[in-house]
Amino acid sequence: MIFKRVLFRFAIALSAIGVPSPLFAQPGVFGGGYGPALQVVAPPRTFTTSDEHYKYLLGQAKGGTKHTLTSVPRWDGLWVTAGNTHMNMFIDPPGFTGKIRPGVLTPPYEAAYRERWRQQQELGEVQYDRLTHCEPPGYPRWLLEPYSHEFLNTPTQSYLINDFGPAIRRVYIGQDHKNVFGTHSWYGDTIGFWDGDKLVTHTKYLLPADFTRWSPMTSNQFESVETWQLKRYSGDVERLEVQVTFYDRHAFVRPVSAVYAFRRAKDLEAAGHRVQHWECETSNNDVFDKGGTTSRLPGEAGFKDARGTTLFPDLPGQSRDPIYNTTLPAKKE
Amino acid sequence: MKTVFRVLAATVVASLLTAPVALAHHSFSMFDKSVEKVVTGTVVRWAFNVPHSWLYLNVKNPDGTETLWSFEGSAPPGLLQRGITGSTFEPGNTITISYCPLKDGRPGGGLGWARLANGTFVNPADGGCDGSVKAIEKWKVWLSAGYTSSIEAAKSK
Repeated sequence: MIFKRVLFRFAIALSAIGVPSPLFAQPGVFGGGYGPALQVVAPPRTFTTSDEHYKYLLGQAKGGTKHTLTSVPRWDGLWVTAGNTHMNMFIDPPGFTGKIRPGVLTPPYEAAYRERWRQQQELGEVQYDRLTHCEPPGYPRWLLEPYSHEFLNTPTQSYLINDFGPAIRRVYIGQDHKNVFGTHSWYGDTIGFWDGDKLVTHTKYLLPADFTRWSPMTSNQFESVETWQLKRYSGDVERLEVQVTFYDRHAFVRPVSAVYAFRRAKDLEAAGHRVQHWECETSNNDVFDKGGTTSRLPGEAGFKDARGTTLFPDLPGQSRDPIYNTTLPAKKE
Repeated sequence: MKTVFRVLAATVVASLLTAPVALAHHSFSMFDKSVEKVVTGTVVRWAFNVPHSWLYLNVKNPDGTETLWSFEGSAPPGLLQRGITGSTFEPGNTITISYCPLKDGRPGGGLGWARLANGTFVNPADGGCDGSVKAIEKWKVWLSAGYTSSIEAAKSK
């Protein structure tokens, strides 16, 4: 009994002083540590392509479960990220002190990643992030971007939303891929089917992107097969888990798998948060300059005043700061 | 077994409350995270905006003039989870903050913790500086000793 009490207090103390514990910590950042350790579920067998993988799962599910509006799983509400294992695919041991796993990335992609990892290791920061100039996160980065998420399911379509961007992935249930634009895009084209309470998706036609700024880049041949399922664990832990296998013939020697998770954002809901349009183009003051990132300050050329006025300041009601109506120094000419 | 799970659950909750947060969409390489400084000023604007919040303070110089300082904090969804809203820092309020300075010496930095006029500490930091509970507790001691920079505090040891 005394031992249990000591163990309990030890665990609290360990967390409070911020000591990372391999027993409790979830690999990767962005909400790790919520619930039991995430376990990657590998595909049932090796597949050469994502199409082959998806078709196999569709066959196993006998064409998929035909849900109605009343039977389709509901994942309403706000969610935030709850950890992922994506760094385990590339770094051994996972985390910011590990080394790049050999034989996972193709030679050109491994060389490119070595430079990112060198910056992370030697300078403490990758010097540049493509999102700095307001590029969309894209996919697969969408899977771990923090902030808030919403997941809305209907029998014919699911909407997987991240407020960052905002970025909305649409899953077309029971359909084939379409690409009438004749090109690739940040979130590509996603089709899917239900297998009971599991949503299985297939994504392709993606633009080159990355997992994060400290993780590898991906090519325009990057594709994925995901399985989404709401899991419940004792202790009132509810987690939406996404088992993913990534395919990329330019970047990977062979397909790689990871699991990503989300938890209900009860704290955000309690705080009254509602998802708004995510502004970047007119509010971002961090820029890439002379090989690194810097910030533009008020009064400097190029500073964007997100709470200034519109181009028509003489008209009444043109301030973007209507409650406090504050002003900052104007641009130096 | 039940007890072990309770231990795990308690640890997880405590970790969530204390875990450092670095949610930014950009690199923090412009800030010198090896140095933490403290400054007191008057709030000019609290821009509770995505992709980053910015706190603008007028800070008095030794010669009596004022300089506008700019400090970058986390994005609103991250801040709301820490109890910080768009009206936490109202224009005209006098507050004290910690920050990691811009490496090029301009008047700005990555925001760490902030002490409101009523003495409450809050954590509006992103990955640019440390605003965690641990940092706040460390600085409470340093502030009471009169230090305004982590370098001063380190030298005194």
